[in-house]
Order: sequence, then C-alpha cells, then structure tokens
Amino acid sequence: MEKILSINGKTIFDIDTTILIPSNYNYTKDTIELLNQGCTVIYKVSNFNIRDIPQDILNFFDCEYLLSKTTFTKEDEYKIIIISSIFSTKKIIAFMNMFTYVSKEFQNKIIEFLRRQNKRIINYTSETEETLLLPFLIIIYNNEIVIEGETKIVLKEETLIKKLGFNLPFIVELSSGLKYYNVVSKLFFDNESLVEELWK
Amino acid sequence: MEVAILLNTKPTEKIYGLTGNINVTTNNDNYRIITEYRFPGTTETFLNSPKSLASLKMVFLDESYLTKKSEDLSESEIKRIMLARALIENKDYIILDYFEKGLNYKEKENFKRLFRKLSQEYHKTILILTNDITFLWDIADEIINVDKNGVINNYSKEEYFNLSNIANKPEITKFINMMRERNIKIADYKNVLDLLKAIYRLKGE
Repeated sequence: MEKILSINGKTIFDIDTTILIPSNYNYTKDTIELLNQGCTVIYKVSNFNIRDIPQDILNFFDCEYLLSKTTFTKEDEYKIIIISSIFSTKKIIAFMNMFTYVSKEFQNKIIEFLRRQNKRIINYTSETEETLLLPFLIIIYNNEIVIEGETKIVLKEETLIKKLGFNLPFIVELSSGLKYYNVVSKLFFDNESLVEELWK
Repeated sequence: MEVAILLNTKPTEKIYGLTGNINVTTNNDNYRIITEYRFPGTTETFLNSPKSLASLKMVFLDESYLTKKSEDLSESEIKRIMLARALIENKDYIILDYFEKGLNYKEKENFKRLFRKLSQEYHKTILILTNDITFLWDIADEIINVDKNGVINNYSKEEYFNLSNIANKPEITKFINMMRERNIKIADYKNVLDLLKAIYRLKGE
C-alpha cells in the first residue's frame, strides 16, 4: 500500500483508517502534524455557522431542520461542525473523536459522502464499535502503535485487544465465542451475515 | 430542559438515563452538571480541598493530575476532574453530560460500578445524558427519552427495548430482533455471553 502521511511516528497508508486510542491520548501533536501536511482536521470547536453549509449538503445529511433552530444540542453542534468541514478541497479528512457523538446512521452518511468525493478518511476514536466502519485499523497504547493492519485481521487479536483495555465490537465478540464452540467457522463483522450463516 | 424540574417527581438515590436531542440546564445549587469545562490554573487549585487526592482516586486518577492544567488534559480527563469536584462539594444530584465519551471499555465498567456506589451507598441521584444506550442499560433504573418534538417519555428498561420506533438500541438488541424476524424464539439477553449460550443451545436442538 502506498504511504500518504507520517504522523507522530505513525505511517498512514492510502486506505481509510481507524486509529483506536486510549482515553488519555492527547492528539494535539497529531492534529498539528496533520494540518501541516495539508489535511482537513475536524475536532470540537466553539465557532460554527450553519448558514455556511450549502443546502444540498444539509439535505443529504437530513439536517435542514437545524436551520430553524436557535439553540443547538450537543449532537446538533457535532453534526454542524462535521458537515461544515467535510466539503473541503483537501484529499485527507481526519476526525478527532467526533463520530462517537452522532448516530450510526449519520456516521454511515459521512463515510458515504466522503467516498463519493474520493476523500481519504482517518478516524481517531476510543470506541471499538467504530472500528467496523473503515477497512484499516491502527491501535495505539502508551503513544506507540501496538498493532495495525486490515481491520478484520487486527480484530482477531482478541487477547491483545482486551489486555489493552479495549473490548471487541459486539458482533466480533459474539462470533468469536460461537467460533470457539464450533457453531461457526470464522469471525463475522455484521449482524446480517452472522444471522444468515446461523439460520440459512 | 430544566433538569431540576424533570427530576422533581422522581425518586432520589437512583440512576436515570436521559436520551434524545436535548440540552440540560439547572438553576439549582444542589445539582452539578459534569461537562468539559477548561478550568483555570492547575487541578489542585481548581479542586481547592484537602479531599482533592481522595476524590481524584475515586475517579481513577492519580496524584500526578494535581499539578496538571486543563489544556494538558483530554476531554475525558477534564470531566473526571469535574466529577471529583462534585464529590468534594457533596452535591446530591450529579448530571453527567456524555461522560462516557473517550473512555475505553474497562474504564466504562469502572465508572458504572462507581455510579452504582454513589447512588446506593452515598445516596446520590445520578442523571446520565448520552446517546450511547449500551452505557446506560445495565445501570439505569429508568430511561427518559425526549423525542424530536420535545415530548418527554419515561420508560423502564424493558419497555424501552421493546419499542419498535426507536433507532438507538444496543447492538445485542438489534441482533436479537433480527433473529426474531426469522421466527427464532429468543429471550431478551443483555450480555453477549448469555446470548452466546442461548444460540449454542438453539443450534444444538
């Protein structure tokens, strides 16, 4: 895979990547390096203006209702910050623990939108369920990369992941247990496939 | 939403989950909203109490945090320090605003145990505001949901998970619903291990 960035000692390849981080991770340095390397970095900011967002973007994200609101909730704020930043001209868009505040449906819309624009996504998060969204996974502990690779391969390292204090995504945890008892022969990464396999 | 009004009619010393697209406010001195406030000075000056270290330990932070400033801390760490302060102040009501964001699995489990202890042993009333229903469901005594039209609905946990028009459900519930769509009879399991055993038994039949 082609290398596209180097951030704080981490090599980022040309593939949508989740960076799974512990709760005490300070990503200020990563943010600065990403900005210096010409990326768009999306993080919690105080100033945002929904009027700056084109109508077709608001429609795509089902957020037209926000135009008529005078006060915003936390979830509204995160939605506005995200969708006002993602129609950047930059090729690489990095999210700093932003996805966790919005619904799964909204997360999928962000990814769909960016893929249509042919953007590269980097998602910093502490939530293991989000690792299923993107095909490449880097896990960081004590400011070092512990493991990285295709998400479906990294998530097989159950013992290591749990030792670092993370859990597995629900469907991976369930299918791992079923595999252990020979009910299924492999891990699964979405509900539909596992239900289909169990009751075909 | 004025949370003091919301909780006025509720029994105290319980844990409530609050979901929906809402802001909470309170003008009541006995309530403390835990949010990511970037305090001035160091943690030690902010907490300003002989109980500072003990309260930091309760929120699973060590002595080294006393000399740290808020700009050096993650949002999650700041919220923990705010919680430490609420414990020093001995507020009866603690409102946690998306508190679990940024915590890893082990930390979430530790905080769930702490919240139960605060409620049962220290007689606090806890309100957890979040969109993460999985964090709530095994500790909340009741779930309060505010819908798009601002209507407030109170549910027991069993009622909430049986609602067909709620998208915000734990992954395990979505999986169980998918099984039921295939006419597979399965109970409402709340943890992966119990569901795993149930599927194992079903497949063995």
